[in-house]
Amino acid sequence: MTTSGVGAAAARSEVRELIAQKGHAVDNARAATARLEAAFAAGDLVRTPFLDQALGDLATALDQEDGQRLGGKSAEASRFILRAVDRALDDA
Amino acid sequence: MGRAPLTDEQKKRVPPGQYVTEKFPVLHYGSVPRIDLARWDLRVYGEVDNPFTVTWAEYQRLPRKSVHTDIHCVTRWTKLDTDFQGVAIQHILGLAQLRPTARFVVAHCEQGYTANLPLSVLDDDDVLLADSFDGKPLEPEHGGPLRLFVPKRYFWKSAKWIRGLEFLDHDQLGFWERYGYHNDADPWREERFADG
Repeated sequence: MTTSGVGAAAARSEVRELIAQKGHAVDNARAATARLEAAFAAGDLVRTPFLDQALGDLATALDQEDGQRLGGKSAEASRFILRAVDRALDDA
Repeated sequence: MGRAPLTDEQKKRVPPGQYVTEKFPVLHYGSVPRIDLARWDLRVYGEVDNPFTVTWAEYQRLPRKSVHTDIHCVTRWTKLDTDFQGVAIQHILGLAQLRPTARFVVAHCEQGYTANLPLSVLDDDDVLLADSFDGKPLEPEHGGPLRLFVPKRYFWKSAKWIRGLEFLDHDQLGFWERYGYHNDADPWREERFADG
């Protein structure tokens, strides 16, 4: 089911802005994830199976255990997943 | 001091768009998982007549094989003349007794990472479940205790920290393939990304 209305449009727009903003992909990913989760909680967007998987994969890619640096592919994973999230937003 | 220039024979072994390094770069996302070998197992299942699970102790009793070959990463480094050791995937295939319907495999790894391959690529005499590099146990950042080793494909297909092989009658995209990496990953065709 695709949501519509002011809240949905605003959420999609803000998530896309966060994805596209200048800065480190990992930071963008964390910000976009937080905005998406807020939109889901508010009922503005629905959590599709694809977005659910993408956010789970993103969480793994951004997982940082104590004393470890993030892997060198975390930023690239973030970029690739965020592009897929952007494409999938219209279905949410 | 830099490395010696490549010989003509070595140059022919470098796929297009790659450069040669003597290092072994570490590339992964997230954190390196902490693995307790006492609780570790490897599961082989799906379109097989003999699904099985091996513990680390059982895995170590399987026959071993060494492969000397070159490896190629999608991030453009190539490492020539590597030596990996482990268990031949063809031994695993024999144990599992694949059904005729088995045409694809998904490698399942720690942290939910997956990589997919057609059986026609997996079933090759240079493919291993690799636990050692240069005769020493694989370091955790390189996929230890166990990684898949598929040298004819970009190295993301050689999935680190493997915990399962699932045989399927259909293709199922893995982690990177789902988000835009090329499904086939042949370095000689420069199959890096799905959109070229």
